[in-house]
Amino acid sequence: MATLSINSLGKVYPGGVTAVSDVNVDIADGEFIVLVGPSGCGKSTILRMIAGLEGITSGDLQIDDRRVNDLEPGERDIAMVFQNYALYPHMSVRGNMEYGLKNEGLPKAQIAERIAEAARTLRLEEFLDRKPANLSGGQRQRVAMGRAIVRDPKVFLFDEPLSNLDAKLRTQLRAELKALHKRLGATFVYVTHDQVEAMSLADRIIIMSNGKVEQIGTPMDLYLRPASRFVADFIGSPSMNVLDGTVSSDRRSLQLNGSHQIDFGAELPAAAGNQIAIGIRPEHLHQNTAGETRIELSVGFIEQLGADTVVHGTLAGSQSPLAVRLNGVQARDSGDSIALSCGRDQIHLFDGTTGQRLNWDNQ
Amino acid sequence: MVENRPFLTFLTHAVLIIGVLFLCFPVWMALVASTHGPEALSSSPIPLWFGDRAWENYSQLLVGGLPEAGGVPIGSMMFNSLIMALVITFGKIAISIISAYAIVYFQFPFRMGFFWMIFITLMLPVEVRILPTFDVVVKMGMLNTYAGLTVPLIASATATFLFRQFFLTIPDELVEAARIDRAGPLRFFWDILLPLSRTNIAALFIILFIYGWNQYLWPLLITTDESLYTVVMGIQRMVNSGESLPVWHYIMGTAVLAMIPPVIVVVAMQKLFVKGLVESEK
Ligand SMILES: Nc1ncnc2c1ncn2[C@@H]1O[C@H](COP(=O)(O)OP(=O)(O)OP(=O)(O)O)[C@@H](O)[C@H]1O
Ligand SMILES: [Mg+2]
Repeated sequence: MATLSINSLGKVYPGGVTAVSDVNVDIADGEFIVLVGPSGCGKSTILRMIAGLEGITSGDLQIDDRRVNDLEPGERDIAMVFQNYALYPHMSVRGNMEYGLKNEGLPKAQIAERIAEAARTLRLEEFLDRKPANLSGGQRQRVAMGRAIVRDPKVFLFDEPLSNLDAKLRTQLRAELKALHKRLGATFVYVTHDQVEAMSLADRIIIMSNGKVEQIGTPMDLYLRPASRFVADFIGSPSMNVLDGTVSSDRRSLQLNGSHQIDFGAELPAAAGNQIAIGIRPEHLHQNTAGETRIELSVGFIEQLGADTVVHGTLAGSQSPLAVRLNGVQARDSGDSIALSCGRDQIHLFDGTTGQRLNWDNQ
Repeated sequence: MVENRPFLTFLTHAVLIIGVLFLCFPVWMALVASTHGPEALSSSPIPLWFGDRAWENYSQLLVGGLPEAGGVPIGSMMFNSLIMALVITFGKIAISIISAYAIVYFQFPFRMGFFWMIFITLMLPVEVRILPTFDVVVKMGMLNTYAGLTVPLIASATATFLFRQFFLTIPDELVEAARIDRAGPLRFFWDILLPLSRTNIAALFIILFIYGWNQYLWPLLITTDESLYTVVMGIQRMVNSGESLPVWHYIMGTAVLAMIPPVIVVVAMQKLFVKGLVESEK
C-alpha cells in the first residue's frame, strides 16, 4: 500500500530517442491508474522506470515519500506482470511464485501460507505443481499475477497483461483484476493500448501521445471533457467525429468543409475566420431534427453490432468522414443520406492548430 | 512428408536399413575380429562370425599389458582417456558458459572486442596453433602431466559462441522478472540460466566428450611417459609396432573397448537431450 509520486519524469534512450518527457502525476494509495495511448507513446517506458528496469534520465520518482530513482528493482518493493508472462519455464507454478520470496529470505512456513492464499484467490490450487508450458494462456497470466501478489508489494505494475489473450478471456480476467484490486486495496499502475480496458478498469487514466501526457482524469472526465482532439479521438468507440471548419464573421456559426454550415445559438470562443474543429460522438447524433445542431450523413457502409448499428459515411457534400451509432438493427444503402441532429451540449470544440479543447458556454 | 503410400514407406525404410548396415559393418568386423586368434585375420576368407578367444583376448588387453603397446594395460589407457575427455568437457563447458554469460549480460569496456577476439579464435583449430602451444606447455613444465594433456584444449570459442546465441534467445522479460524477484547475477545464473541451458549442455557434453576422447595428435606430443598414454595412442602404437605382423585381434579389441565410453555418453545424454527438445517445443 503506497502512494507514488512522479515529478517531471523524462527518459532519453541512448541514441537520442526521447521516449518520455515531463510527466507529473501523484498517485494515491490504493488507486488504479491506467496508462493508455497509441503504440510507441512511452507507456512501457514509464512503467519500466517505475519498476527500475530502465534508468531515469530526469525527474524524480517517489514511492511513499522515499526517492527510489537509484534503487534496484528488487529493492523498490514493486511487482510487475509482463505481457508475455515471463514465467520461469523450468520451475513449477509453485516454484515461480516462491522464487522471489525465497530470495528475500522469508521463512518457509510464511512462504507456504502466502502461496496457498494466492492460489486460492486466483483458483490455481490444482496447478501448483505444473510447469508453465502445461498451462493455458489465461492460467499462465494468473500465475504471473500470483507471483506478484505473494510478494505483497507496495505497487503493482502491469504491462499489457491481457493483450495476448482472446477477447472473451480478456473480459473475464479484466473483471477478476478489478475484483483483485478491490480486495487487495493496493496501488495499481496498468499499461494498455486498449481504451475499453482503460475505461473499464481505471480510477484515473493517464492518456499519452508522443511521450507527453495529454490528459489525466477519471474515465468520465476523458469521455465528457477531452482536453484535446487527440484524447477525443482516442477515447470512445467508434471514435468521435471531428470536423474542421472556419468561424463565420458573426462568430455564431461554423462553415464546414463542403457546403455545410452549422449554426450555434451562442458566440464561439474563437475569432472570426479562425480554424476550429467541432467534435460530436457518434452515439450523440440522433436520427431526427430535434437537436439544435443539424447535419447530414451520406452513407458509406454499415456495421451491424446487434444491439446497435454503426453507420459510417461522409458529411454530405464533402469528404470528411462521419459516423453515427443508431439504436437497434437498421438497414441503409450506400449513398443514402440521413438527416441527423444533436444537442448543443454534446458538442466539443477544439482549436484548429493546437488541437486543444476550447471551452464555451454550451450548457 | 506425411504422405502414407506403402511404396514410399518401403523405399525409405530400405534406404535407411541399407545405410545402417553400411555404417555398422566395420563395427561388426571389429567385434568379430577381436574374438579370434591372430592367424584367423591374416588368412582369407576373413571370419564373419565370432571366434572362441574373446575371454582370452579381452582379459589380456584390459589387465595384462601388451608389449606391442608399450606393455601398458588398455585399462589404464582407458582411464587416461577418460580423465582427459572429462576434464576437457567439463572445462570447456564451464569456461564457455561463464564467458558467454559475461558477454551477453554484462556491460563492460570492449565487450564486443572480447567477443570478436574469442570468435576469431574459431578460425584457429588445435592443429594450427599446436607448435606455439607446445612451446608454452614445455616452458610451463607441463609435459607428461594431466594438466598438459587437458588445459590447452579447454578454451573453446565454439561452445562460447553457441551459449551466446542461446542466451540471446532468452527473453529480456525473464531477466527482468528475475531482477524484480531479487535475484542477483549469481543467483540468476545458477537458478535460471543454468537450468534453461540444460539441453545445450547435454548436446555439448556429447560433442566435447567425443572430441576429448578422440584426441590423438596432442597427447602424442605431450606425453612420453607410457603411464599417460591414451587409448587412441595405444591403438596407433599397436598398428605401427614394427617388427612382427600387426596384432589385429588386439587392435580390434582395443577399438571395441575405445568405442564403449562415447557410446555410454551418447545413450545417457540422449535421453536428456531428446526430452529437452520435446519440452521446449511447447
Ligand atoms: N531500448 C530502447 N532504445 C531506444 N529507443 C527505445 C527503446 N525502447 C523503446 N524505445 C522507443 O521509445 C518509445 C516509447 O517506447 P515504449 O516501449 O515505451 O512504447 P509503448 O507506449 O509501450 O508502446 P507499445 O504500446 O507498442 O508497447 C518508442 O518510440 C520506442 O521506439
Ligand atoms: Mg509497451
